Amino acid sequence: MTREISVELQKVSKLYGQDKVVDEVSFTVEKGEIFVLIGPSGCGKTTTLKMINQLIPHTSGNILVNGIDVAELDAVELRRSIGYVIQYIGLLPHLTIQENIAFVLKLTKQSKKMQKEKAEELIETVGLPTNYLTRYPRELSGGQQQRVGVARALAANPDILLMDEPFGAVDPLTREQLQNELLRLQETIRKTIVFVTHDIQEAFKVGSRIGILKQGKLVCLGTPMEIVKTDDEFVKSFIGQGALFEVLDTIEVSRVLEKEVPLVSENEKVDRTADILSGWDNVFVVNSDSKCLGYIPLNTLEPDGSFSKGQIISLPASSTPDISVKFAVEKMLWEGRTWLPIVDEKDGFKGIVLFRSCADLLAGDRG
Amino acid sequence: MELLIGAWNYFISKQDLMIIVLREHVNLVLWATLLTILIGVPLGILIARTQKVRDIVLGSVSVLYTIPILAFFGFLIPIMGIGSTPALVALVIYGLLPVIRNSCVGITQVHPMVKEAARGMGTNNWQLLFKVEIPLAFPVIFAGIRTALVMNFSLATYAVFIGAGGMGRIIMQGIRTFNTSMLLAGILMVVITTVLLERIIGYVDVRIQKRFSLGK
Ligand SMILES: Nc1ncnc2c1ncn2[C@@H]1O[C@H](COP(=O)(O)OP(=O)(O)OP(=O)(O)O)[C@@H](O)[C@H]1O
Ligand SMILES: [Mg+2]
Repeated sequence: MTREISVELQKVSKLYGQDKVVDEVSFTVEKGEIFVLIGPSGCGKTTTLKMINQLIPHTSGNILVNGIDVAELDAVELRRSIGYVIQYIGLLPHLTIQENIAFVLKLTKQSKKMQKEKAEELIETVGLPTNYLTRYPRELSGGQQQRVGVARALAANPDILLMDEPFGAVDPLTREQLQNELLRLQETIRKTIVFVTHDIQEAFKVGSRIGILKQGKLVCLGTPMEIVKTDDEFVKSFIGQGALFEVLDTIEVSRVLEKEVPLVSENEKVDRTADILSGWDNVFVVNSDSKCLGYIPLNTLEPDGSFSKGQIISLPASSTPDISVKFAVEKMLWEGRTWLPIVDEKDGFKGIVLFRSCADLLAGDRG
Repeated sequence: MELLIGAWNYFISKQDLMIIVLREHVNLVLWATLLTILIGVPLGILIARTQKVRDIVLGSVSVLYTIPILAFFGFLIPIMGIGSTPALVALVIYGLLPVIRNSCVGITQVHPMVKEAARGMGTNNWQLLFKVEIPLAFPVIFAGIRTALVMNFSLATYAVFIGAGGMGRIIMQGIRTFNTSMLLAGILMVVITTVLLERIIGYVDVRIQKRFSLGK
């Protein structure tokens, strides 16, 4: 299947007088992905974003939205078809929450009934009670206002969203919550999102791909994994050492899960000659429901491979496959062991995560 | 106390005249304020766009504002004669400054981020003006209109000098005929109606500020 491209920048530049604030930037955003633009203050993130919906006209290059050059589109129509979320004072203070959410629908002269229904639907989508619809923006907390901002951007059902530091003005805890909600929401709505931030942690968390800007130039482009493995000095210093660990937070532990684990049912003997045992110190005992009862170190087995119930050591606290690699590593370090059992919600045994595989993940192409 | 009773008796006996002058007065003020709004608000919004034009317009209107109104009448009589037209013109010009200035300030103080958000959602220029800028500037614009209205209401007392009638008539006549009851009746009428007007418009203003300040 070929990937559909929603937004494409081809050597796009922006000049203010002699100042080149965006310098021949090219990238493509695939349909349904969250593309993050990041970089130090003043590097041109906002300018780049605003050129996509033509709030700022570009000086040269081409910008394609769903394959069409924005130069050929009516700027007002273009903006109505793209959701736009900005930091801070994004809501219109003189309008109620309902009027804010339905603002685009009003601009395009949709019926009152439709505006009301859409507002009710969307405020629930972003997790706010419907009685907030009659309030004014000032009567909401910063985090709640940001949610309304997202709801409003979704009102015209655009397939592209532009988000400029949407969670910049809220406290770290609320921010994390909003990030989680965005990711959860994205599971169902599958929008193409161009997301601007200066927080590398946020970039790793929400971004499927990340573009790093430096003085108007795109200096690095790739998945979080690719980004942390870059050799570029600027990129390294921008991300910082801590990010190496942070990027593990973006990877589900299921990616490094060992499924080929030596198993034995509770009434059987261990076949000591089996290939699968090589490299392992323990075998894992499962019952007929594929629940793991515990493990037995190989060196405590009887010579013929048999064992008694009493020899089974119960498992250390296990985790589910959706935890991040970072979490798994932290847990192993905390418990002082080099492996971690993974079970599903019904306690069914899924496999083992090895500390070594986690480290390899980063070392990978570095070595 | 006797004076007051005299004024009251005068007022009762000349009820019809009182109603006539009040009507003249209110008519003059309402028309003047309406014209002031029609000219001043669009002009204020227009000049909000460019700093240079703003300075020129506000500068020249302020100068007009410093001319005493009686001198102004003297200046208008050779051009327009006497009657309600020159009075109207004078009041409109006096009312323009607060209306233009407040409209201009109201529009310029709308936060650029708010405008940007609105444009980002796809407002065209007219929608931006009527759905965002004017509503947000409205409390400030209204404050300007309030000032103009109240000011015109008291200035209209002078309209009698140019033959445009109004409550000034009673005062003038009272002075000319040394009729203290009449003079006092005229003064009290002006004071009471002005206070009443201020009360009413003040109440409206509070409602508007309350309704609109919710947002900020
Ligand atoms: N209207 C303008 N005229 C001249 N220079 C401008 C204008 N707007 C922005 N710039 C310059 O363009 C550069 C990029 O600005 P931009 O707003 O895109 O930065 P940013 O990456 O979004 O920064 P931040 O993280 O602080 O939001 C800055 O150096 C800024 O000073
Ligand atoms: Mg910015």
